Amino acid sequence: MSAPEVQEAAVNQDGSIQVVMIGVGDEKFALDAGMVREIIDPIPATRVAGAKAFVPCVINVRGNVIPLADLRIRFGMPMTEDTAETRIVVIELAIDNEPVLVGLTADKVYEVTEISRTNVQQTPRVGMHWKPEFIRFITKWREEFVIVPNMERILN
Amino acid sequence: MSALDPTEVFRQEASELFETLEGALLDLCQRPDDRELVDSAFRALHTIKGSGAMFGFDKVAAFTHEFETAFELVRKGEIKPTQELIAVALAAKDYIRALIEAPETTDAIIGEAILDDLKQLVAPTAPRSEVATPATAEVAAAGEKRSAGWRLHLEFDSHILCNGSNPLDLLEDLCKLGPCFVVPVTDDVPLLDELEPEYCYLKWDVTLHADCEKSAIDDVFMFVADEMKLTLTPLTQAELPAQQPAPEPVPQTAMQPASADATPAPTVAEPMPEAEPTVEPAAVPKAEPVAKEAAPQPAARAETRRDEVKRSEERGIATVRVQAERLDELMDRVGELVIAQARLSQLAAAGSDLSIKMIAEEIERLAASLRDTTMGARMVPIGSLFGRFRRLVHDLSRDLKKPVEFVTSGEDTELDKTMIECLADPLVHLIRNAIDHGIEDTAARAVAGKTEQGRIELHAVHSGAQVLVTVRDNGGGLNTARIRAKAEEQGLIAPGAALSDHEIHQFLFHPGFSTAQTVSALSGRGVGMDVVKRTIENMRGSIDLSTKPGQGTSVTLRLPLTLAIIEGLLIRVGEGRYIIPLSAVEECVELMAEDQRSRGRNFLNVRGNLVPFLRLREILPAEGEPELHQKTIIISTGETRVGLVADQIIGNHQTVIKSLSKLHSDVTIFSGATILGDGTAALILDVAQLVSLAQAQSEKQQMNEAA
Repeated sequence: MSAPEVQEAAVNQDGSIQVVMIGVGDEKFALDAGMVREIIDPIPATRVAGAKAFVPCVINVRGNVIPLADLRIRFGMPMTEDTAETRIVVIELAIDNEPVLVGLTADKVYEVTEISRTNVQQTPRVGMHWKPEFIRFITKWREEFVIVPNMERILN
Repeated sequence: MSALDPTEVFRQEASELFETLEGALLDLCQRPDDRELVDSAFRALHTIKGSGAMFGFDKVAAFTHEFETAFELVRKGEIKPTQELIAVALAAKDYIRALIEAPETTDAIIGEAILDDLKQLVAPTAPRSEVATPATAEVAAAGEKRSAGWRLHLEFDSHILCNGSNPLDLLEDLCKLGPCFVVPVTDDVPLLDELEPEYCYLKWDVTLHADCEKSAIDDVFMFVADEMKLTLTPLTQAELPAQQPAPEPVPQTAMQPASADATPAPTVAEPMPEAEPTVEPAAVPKAEPVAKEAAPQPAARAETRRDEVKRSEERGIATVRVQAERLDELMDRVGELVIAQARLSQLAAAGSDLSIKMIAEEIERLAASLRDTTMGARMVPIGSLFGRFRRLVHDLSRDLKKPVEFVTSGEDTELDKTMIECLADPLVHLIRNAIDHGIEDTAARAVAGKTEQGRIELHAVHSGAQVLVTVRDNGGGLNTARIRAKAEEQGLIAPGAALSDHEIHQFLFHPGFSTAQTVSALSGRGVGMDVVKRTIENMRGSIDLSTKPGQGTSVTLRLPLTLAIIEGLLIRVGEGRYIIPLSAVEECVELMAEDQRSRGRNFLNVRGNLVPFLRLREILPAEGEPELHQKTIIISTGETRVGLVADQIIGNHQTVIKSLSKLHSDVTIFSGATILGDGTAALILDVAQLVSLAQAQSEKQQMNEAA
């Protein structure tokens, strides 16, 4: 599955996309609902020595050892302690054409909702300290800007 | 199993038979006089033919039949299996395989050409008519060369109808061979109230007036051979008048010798009134020859039956066909069970309930033996793989005009089936390389004073929890200077850099590296060795290369026994827990205070030997203060021993190996992960990587000291 396919799959007739809205740091990210497998409470993670900084740990999810990624590192956000609202969102995505399960740490999971493609904002070239390839697009949801991340790029 | 596609079952069975056939044919090259080999080749052919016909592979059956007929002469020992004949036979085998695997795309012309070759090879020595005389009938018809027909007595097992065979269909098939006179024997039919409607009580006497082979009759009853008694007596020319119906009561004596020898059932000995027409008036004077012929008959029959019995025994005891997926599933379940059991043991150990502890121990024991059994079920002898390479060597040695002797040993060495599958391609590469690059051509060998025939050895052996597979040739050995020159040319090393031979040889595993001056169809493109290395490393194995100039090269693959579960040693470093494969652990010693104090010297004194050690706390993330009494685990790979310093040794752990995700593919010091009793993930240390890390470190240290 390539990235565009994932995108197509979740786009409804009227151009709306079903997403899981999560909060990471001060930002809201909209994850395509099609790639989200489950949302679990935080569990003890195992540090992997020598791993890339944004996938520092592995966790056991139902008998599978999967990497735990941290979006905060990729988006240059400060690390914070876990709170009562911290969750792990398990997503499945294709890396080198093979499905891979990855856990994402989210400071808060809001809801499953729909965002509209009609509100898509042009990703600004300036005034942003994030790498543009990590962002699929930025859209508006309830008068707030939310990021639709390109997970394949972020994790590769 | 019923959901299985029968054709698929046939394909699987056939592929095994092809292996047998190919093995037998290749063995025949070496030992052309071995009757056993001819027989086993013939048996395989015959089964392919029979099953092929049953599953509707008519082309296969027809071709195999022709092939079999031609091969018959070899079986009778009339012609020797020459190299040419075997080459044609191998081509025929490939053609049959193609017919089965892709019937639509396979051209019949190839088959005809093969058959023509085959006939030419067998024809000069043997006229066609003799081919038609089957081997078994030959024995039976010792007295009478041409039989006029057969007298059959058929007795089916009473439950044959329950198995779905219909004796009437078989009789109809028999009628197709020629004019038949069939008489049922009804003696055994019980009274109506005792009669089991599903049982077959009838027996049959059949007189078949056809000049057909005994094997043709046997073929009719091929699939019910185990469930019936078949007595076959050839009719002689003199008996032919029987064709003219001359009903006359038959004297008991005439019938007795013919049938009593094989079918002890007394009922048969007494001819029924209905049986009258089958027996000819001439029977009285003929009683003598019939009896004579009947005598060798059981022997001949016994011979063919013995083959079948042998085969069915092999099947019954040796193998049960199970889908590979089911074994994988079973392994997964066992893996989960082992994890759950580890949690139970941990809980039990924490509590104080004695009975729970006992149960936990019991379950631990059962889980361990279940794990071993399951892994055992997945083990396949590596010989099944070796067989394939004989053909490869045979063909390569012919194409390259380098006579090569191929020697295998350790075929019984068992490996996990997934490993066997993964091993095939790397070994093909290594063997090709050995023949193409390793073995010199005949002229060069003569100059070097070697035997004309090259030698390639394929050897497998267990070594602890590893399997070593070695491909050795007695060719020219690696040309270290040329590899070095090539590496310099490709800019892989600086000219004049100090490198050991071993390091230079590692360039062979570099992608795109080839020293071959010409690129042949077989090798020299520089793809291959890097793929071999990658495949082997993916299997958590390693490659050793050793070479002696002028004497040959040997490549040894070190492979773990299984990919699924290992015994591990659970250790703690800081807060983190890690697994060391127990197979690599030699011993555990306490790190002495003096060793700990000296910062500059990372060597242990283990019974007089210097062993370098690594502080795992320096490699792995570890918070907190180190334990006062640190432990050293001495691990070894091959010759090298290295100590690993950990905070605590927790104990044995049955480790279900989970591979690390792609996102962690850049992490080298861990070979995988597992799940501990409390549900957290723990990482498995890659011993080979740690050892090379330690070596690099100590070399650096030595350089520093030298400087």
